[in-house]
Amino acid sequence: MTLLAVVLHVVALLASPIGMVGVINRTKAIWAGRKGPPLLQFLFDLTRLLRKAPVYSHVTTPIFWIAPLVALTTALVSGLAVPLLGYAAPISFPFDFVAVAYLWGLGRVFVILAALDAGSSFEGLGASREATFGALVEPALFLCMGTLAAATGHDTFASIVHVGLGSSDRIATTAGCAIALFVVLQVESSRVPVDDPQTHLELTMIHEVMILDHSGPDLAALQYASAMKLTLLAALVAAVINPVPFQTSPAIATVTHLATMLVLALAVGCVESLVARLKLKALPQYIVVATVATFIALLATAWRLGSGG
Amino acid sequence: MTFLTLAQIAFLLGAALSLALRNNVHRAWAGVVSQLIGTTLTLVCALPVLLGDGELRATVPWSYPVESVTAHLDALGAFFLVWSLPMTLMGTLYAVGYLRPQFASRNAGVQFALLNITSFSFVLIYTLENAMVFLLGWEIAAVAAWLLVIWEYRSQKTRFAGFNYLVSTHVGFFVLVAAFMTMRSATGSMDFGSFSNFLRIPSPMRNVTFILLATSFGLKAAFFPFHTWLPRAHAAAPAHVSALMSGVIHKAGLFGLLRFTLLIGAPDAWMGWYLLAFSSLTALVGVLYTTAQRDLKRLLGYSSTENVGIAGIGFGLGYLGLSWHKPVLVALGFTGGILHILNHAVFKCLLFYAAGSIYRATHTVDLERLGGLIRKLPWTAFFFLLGGLAISGLPPLNGFVSEFLIYAGLLHAGAPSGIERALLIGTASLLALVGGASALATVRAFGVSFLGAPRDTTVHAAHDASLSMRLTMCAHAVGVVLLGVVPAVALRIVRAPAALFMGPASAPPGSAILEAAGLLEPVAWTSALLLAVFLVLLVGRWWLVRGRYTKHVTWGCGYTGTTSRMQTTGTSFSAQFASSFESVLHFQRRERLPVGFFPESPGHLDTYNVDTVERRIFEALGEGQDFSTKVVARISEEPRFAFGLGLVVLVALVVSVFVRGDVP
Repeated sequence: MTLLAVVLHVVALLASPIGMVGVINRTKAIWAGRKGPPLLQFLFDLTRLLRKAPVYSHVTTPIFWIAPLVALTTALVSGLAVPLLGYAAPISFPFDFVAVAYLWGLGRVFVILAALDAGSSFEGLGASREATFGALVEPALFLCMGTLAAATGHDTFASIVHVGLGSSDRIATTAGCAIALFVVLQVESSRVPVDDPQTHLELTMIHEVMILDHSGPDLAALQYASAMKLTLLAALVAAVINPVPFQTSPAIATVTHLATMLVLALAVGCVESLVARLKLKALPQYIVVATVATFIALLATAWRLGSGG
Repeated sequence: MTFLTLAQIAFLLGAALSLALRNNVHRAWAGVVSQLIGTTLTLVCALPVLLGDGELRATVPWSYPVESVTAHLDALGAFFLVWSLPMTLMGTLYAVGYLRPQFASRNAGVQFALLNITSFSFVLIYTLENAMVFLLGWEIAAVAAWLLVIWEYRSQKTRFAGFNYLVSTHVGFFVLVAAFMTMRSATGSMDFGSFSNFLRIPSPMRNVTFILLATSFGLKAAFFPFHTWLPRAHAAAPAHVSALMSGVIHKAGLFGLLRFTLLIGAPDAWMGWYLLAFSSLTALVGVLYTTAQRDLKRLLGYSSTENVGIAGIGFGLGYLGLSWHKPVLVALGFTGGILHILNHAVFKCLLFYAAGSIYRATHTVDLERLGGLIRKLPWTAFFFLLGGLAISGLPPLNGFVSEFLIYAGLLHAGAPSGIERALLIGTASLLALVGGASALATVRAFGVSFLGAPRDTTVHAAHDASLSMRLTMCAHAVGVVLLGVVPAVALRIVRAPAALFMGPASAPPGSAILEAAGLLEPVAWTSALLLAVFLVLLVGRWWLVRGRYTKHVTWGCGYTGTTSRMQTTGTSFSAQFASSFESVLHFQRRERLPVGFFPESPGHLDTYNVDTVERRIFEALGEGQDFSTKVVARISEEPRFAFGLGLVVLVALVVSVFVRGDVP
């Protein structure tokens, strides 16, 4: 990667979460018949939070304020390994996707610990749910990445996502992985129908309730990290379903990639406006949908490769 | 070799001194000093072998039926010696602090003597290449471990756990004897070298021997479904014994597996699949139980089962690589698996030592009664968190390094494309589930015991760990960080033992190992970047906050009557996860719920996670006959004949498969 590309990647990494959240919120506002906040509202919120002085509970320990930093660190570092602009990433090494998944795991562990640190029953509930769904979604993510690696014959994140829509026998692989990754996106970044990012009320107590006691810069770090993870996963889905192959025309492909990410933001907003949140008991089944989708993709890939096609 | 003999003499002398001296403090010192001498002497011998300076071999003539005993220190044995003995020494050091409160009332000399004997048996097992003497070392280690476990022998629970362990380990011993008898009758010798001549050639008897060996070593290393003795023994034993058993002594099982892998040379593919299936199941079942335990030491015990499963997945992959002639898979599988053994030893001992210092401070390891310990035990909390993050395989600590290698092997393009590749990818996703669940178990154990507010007012945390305990934990913590952040060190240690396995599969042995090692270089850089970004953010936060913050109560969503009893408990934390795996995770409830709007008597509710596997085994043993009669009775007259015929056909098929000897 050239220096320019790295700079572009970092700028995109820092800026696109704000755009993604803005587009999702605007979509939801339009569905609800409101005018909605400005597209950059998330940025204004973050800067406002950064100026504030935090409030800490008597019960908390340093883990409480270290956790947001760890979450943001892992989001930033993993962002450098994900092909955010579609075709390459500044950090790219064989099996980097394993490292990315475990980095997200590290961030999640610290956020959960911070939630338990406050000693509140609400936050404990959220922590328990986050740990549960985080664990259940891992197999789908790995199965998906393994399938993509097998289908493309590559082993770095930036190259495995280009499975392509080109031939008809690849469509099962692409569709299965895209569905799985979209579900993973909804689980990992706490969107409807898994979680509701708007409230921390009992029914939706997952991510928002875990960060109930955080304030000021700590809260800003947590929200920014969460939005960044959403963007990274959207970039993965977009790269998988991008109709223009990168080998032929990188410029057009990057444009379509970014457009696809925009469409995905719209899709997340639409799902959030039109679909009710699932019952917590039904969530494991919803996650199984992702696993099954990618399992079908894996079998299709194995059959195609095994038959020498 | 002279040094090894001297080391053995030092261990035995130390053991004798620990028993003979009259004062507990002197006994402790005798143990520590003799261990130190013995360990140093062994390291002088083993380190050069590990770093690739050739092998040591000596033959001692012996009387009938052994004839001669070959002591052979190769890279594999050296690898195991190089960390087993120093960690036993650390355990002895920890024991000094841990047993100190009991010095006035008990004779602690037995413990120190037995720790010396354990080290002594390690040298026997890891160097001797004769079935008879190997079994002797094996038995010494087993009995010493049993005697170490029943230190608190006045408690009936401890005696039962000890007995359970003794029986289990001997069942494994008999299976091992059976395997050795098979090989002895085939070769007419007790020497491992001649066993190899038999094991190298595919034959039906080789398949049977492999299954016997895998069963015996699996029992020793607590593979599922032979793991049931382990959580009991670990919960009952003193902390240093739990740590050594889980981290060091039971690695002998994996050593046995590896030693015989070397003797087999080129295994069949089915052996690889067999290992892979068993190990995946072991890792999964182990981690599921880990998420549900309320006894901290039982929890750690189950996580040992999980981790030997992870190492076993690596070995299974290596077997497959050997049978497919794919050097890269061999290198990744064995490097990852062997490294995971070392990593597990380091972080598991760290966690058990931390659990021990919780027990010394609060006199309980029941998660539901703990809480907020981080204030009283800051050192212990830090070490436990470090160990917990490592055991969940999170970067940048050591658990991640070995798991990364195993993932890389499972997802590598080297496997034959088609169904084999799909199966390996499936295993990788199973390993991911194991990782996620293990993270859940870690945050649960750490969060519930160390964070929040104390749950039970009757539990008083007195003081943090004593100096010797803290030093021991510190040494292990350094290992956890060093092996994780600088994987080159870890790879240097496992390079020689892993290279032994490359034999038949690779043209220039070692090039595949280097390729595997090359995968870790960017991982190390990523870890460094992670730390750098974290430091930058830390400075940024410090500048933004600049000490301006207010203290307040935890936000209770408007409710002000909160008490610490309302916090999430360990059981409720994992309840939803457990409900997805009800068939394995069975909870026993003892309850008396309050009745009516104004209950007259207070209610109570207790939940315990019971080992379903153990239960089912006992049920099947106790009611097996009834069960089979019932099943047969349910089949009506005519199909019964067909059913019987079907069984006969099935048996015939199995037999023919064995006789043909090339199970797919």
